[in-house]
Amino acid sequence: MIMTTADLALLAVTRSTIAIWIAGAASVALLAALLLGVKIPLRYLVRNLTVRWRTTLMTVLAFVMVISLLTVMMAFVNGMYRLTQASGQPGNVMVLADGATDESFSNLIAPDIADIENQPGILRENGKPLCSRETYLVVTQPIENPVRGRPQRRFLQLRGLDDSAMTGRVHGLELYPSGSWISDAGVREAGSGNGDPASKKNPGPPEAPIQPLVEAVLGEGVAHVLAADKKHGSNSASAPERLDVGDTFSLGDRRWIVVGVLKSAGSTFDSEIWAKRGMVGPMFGKENYSSLVLRTAGPTEARTLKDYFNSQYKKAAVLAQVETDYFENLSGTNRQFLFAIGFVTVVMAVGGVMGVMNTMFAAVSNRVKDIGVLRLMGYSRSQIMLAFLLESLLIAMVGGALGCALGSLVDGWTATSIVSGAAGGGKFVVLRLSVDLQTLLLGFVLAQAMGVFGGFIPAFSAVRLKPLEALR
Amino acid sequence: MKFFLLILKNVRRNAVRSTLTAVGTMVLVFVVTLVWSILDFLDKVTAEKTDNLKAIVTERWQMPSQMPFPYADTLSDGAARHSNDLHPIDSMTWQFYGGTIDPAKKTIENIVFAFAMEPEKIGTMLDEIELNSLPAAKAADLRQSIARLKEKRNGIIVGREKLTQIHRGLGDRFTVTGLNYKDIDLEFEVVGIFPDGRYDKSAVMNRDYLNAALDSYQRTHAGQKHPLADKTLNLVWLRVPDMQAFNTIQQQITDSPLYASPAVKCETASSGIATFLEAYRDLIWGMRWLLAPAILMTLSLVIANAISISVRERRLEFAVLRVLGYRPRQILTLVVGEAVMLGAGSGLVSTVATYMLINHLMGGINFPIAFFGAFFIPLQAIWWGLAIGVATALAGSVVPALTASSIRVTEAFSKVA
Repeated sequence: MIMTTADLALLAVTRSTIAIWIAGAASVALLAALLLGVKIPLRYLVRNLTVRWRTTLMTVLAFVMVISLLTVMMAFVNGMYRLTQASGQPGNVMVLADGATDESFSNLIAPDIADIENQPGILRENGKPLCSRETYLVVTQPIENPVRGRPQRRFLQLRGLDDSAMTGRVHGLELYPSGSWISDAGVREAGSGNGDPASKKNPGPPEAPIQPLVEAVLGEGVAHVLAADKKHGSNSASAPERLDVGDTFSLGDRRWIVVGVLKSAGSTFDSEIWAKRGMVGPMFGKENYSSLVLRTAGPTEARTLKDYFNSQYKKAAVLAQVETDYFENLSGTNRQFLFAIGFVTVVMAVGGVMGVMNTMFAAVSNRVKDIGVLRLMGYSRSQIMLAFLLESLLIAMVGGALGCALGSLVDGWTATSIVSGAAGGGKFVVLRLSVDLQTLLLGFVLAQAMGVFGGFIPAFSAVRLKPLEALR
Repeated sequence: MKFFLLILKNVRRNAVRSTLTAVGTMVLVFVVTLVWSILDFLDKVTAEKTDNLKAIVTERWQMPSQMPFPYADTLSDGAARHSNDLHPIDSMTWQFYGGTIDPAKKTIENIVFAFAMEPEKIGTMLDEIELNSLPAAKAADLRQSIARLKEKRNGIIVGREKLTQIHRGLGDRFTVTGLNYKDIDLEFEVVGIFPDGRYDKSAVMNRDYLNAALDSYQRTHAGQKHPLADKTLNLVWLRVPDMQAFNTIQQQITDSPLYASPAVKCETASSGIATFLEAYRDLIWGMRWLLAPAILMTLSLVIANAISISVRERRLEFAVLRVLGYRPRQILTLVVGEAVMLGAGSGLVSTVATYMLINHLMGGINFPIAFFGAFFIPLQAIWWGLAIGVATALAGSVVPALTASSIRVTEAFSKVA
């Protein structure tokens, strides 16, 4: 059996998940073993920490910083992974021109498209194949009310479609109530009760014909981005949080009207504008299709159809991919970010370990006499070592828990980024930061690891003291 | 001087604590230096220049920009049509050619991406390797490479890291199977290597070679043009003396009837890059206002922790110093001085080591922001380490130092008694 990139990525994620859970279980077990195994009263250990509360507090705060940063950074990457994993249907096959590394660079011509969508294996609805013909473009938009000192333009992702309702069905996306899919014409008369204030207030000279408004369906994320322009312009708190049905915006040389907003949160479609392909193709100079998305009965059928197009279909040179594989391949940036986060966290953790070592060495040197007394009372070397290690772990546990709690505050925040694969292309996305149980567990494990590394050497130095020398 | 030696002795007195604090400082300064180096570079490339600035001409609406090649000549001249129109100081055209050396295995290591351009513009228009700004030996090497690229139409100048990735060296030949230009497969000969730095992963080919291959496609395909034949010009760079000249040339280009389909736009390079970086706005914000401050705060805490432990252990010593006639201000200076010496010393060592490690051993930081290949540590970063060390040490030691300076002699001695 040949494993796809998506399978390998899933396997890697599964392995890392298992590793995190094993490490988490090991941390809890270590803590429990220490709590149960230490004969020296826990109250004595806690009191030692509270007596030197300033040092303890500073060490805890260092832990809080490291762990909360880890949580925030992981939440960002989780958000990116969720986007690439949630976008795409396992039963869909995406067809690009052969050699195209991304849909931005793909060119498919209409006769090929017509032939491809009539191949066997594609689901049909009322006799029509369940296919979405798409032209994907990245366009620049001059920002209506740019913030001072910020760029005057932005990139927007535009998807030209022949039948937006069909595209919605193929991609499994719905509209918010009160919205509608793009009409066959793809345009709507300006000033015809569409809520376009610009066209009503400033209709232009009487002899100049008013251009119809281009109908657009917006992803939820981009609807928020475009609404922000109006907010900056009006400087009013009453400005909408996101564009909604009837609102207008400028793109290219035309005014556009929102006819629907997609329930697209958590997918890359969240950052897209959909419009009639017949309008956007000529407007932005991309006449051909970039991709064709075909719906099959399920994941197995999708793989069979993909293989058919890649090895047996000869009428046109195409590259077929299961849609989920295509989006999984866009996680190249995620992996790079994950590596960067791992690196930063490890280096910061080293800094934190140095801090806790200082604290624990000071604890040992301040309690030399205590150690001597404890030894004379019959506590073994290992008991004393475990006691110091437990102190260090208690600091780590409190710092780790507070760090996780602080970092969790970003859960649900939105951020902009780009997801892209190794071979170029990519998508501008609005992602939602996500703090999941695994992230919290990772924070806890890291904190415990810092506690163990930071506490071990000082604890070891404590047991090397001889009782009588210690009391001198 | 005696006071300085006393501070130095105090730092050396508890070697373990000083070492731990120094190592903690060094690793944290290391991360801050990396983060600030990336931000510093991004700030520089997006800062608007007022003179000797570069402009980019691209397709007005679409990205990636794909203009017809016949636009190249007139755009390179700033669309000057009349005798009194302004001409740019210099210009360069970019066409992108990307492909793989192993069509069966399209990994990032096997992909070669080249800017197809006029060879002579390499030494005048490519940032950071302008011939007049390079050291003499490097400039001579690059001049030779450019001459060879002019001579050999199938030549290619490649960055050292890319050459290592594709296991090739100077003089080697390899064939690239076109990815963005399907069926345009080209054989190259490595005629030069870029000076180390920004172009380590880049490649430049002679634009005539790509254009000739596109022409020959038509001949070998029954007169049918390559599907992208009319979309081969991606960017035109113009160098203009100042902002006023830029505005004039921008107007010339915008007003020209030559660029109707597709329409074009002209913007300063910094403005174009800033637009692209807008997608990373939140990430950059997080690095600037979350990551770096949090590391600095952690660093302050590590130093503060060490100093406050030290102060607590030396209460009696400070009381003795007071009895010997030391004033509170001197004790405060003593404690702060210890922290600053430790912080500044380890901060400086850290940034020097970071500079050497990243720039000379690792060939830059690979961080996936925009189209920048690798980020390097600027020379001035060496002073950042010193500044970070001093600032965080001051922040971390002020409270413990005040505690030390306000120590009550009777109280300290009564505890001993």
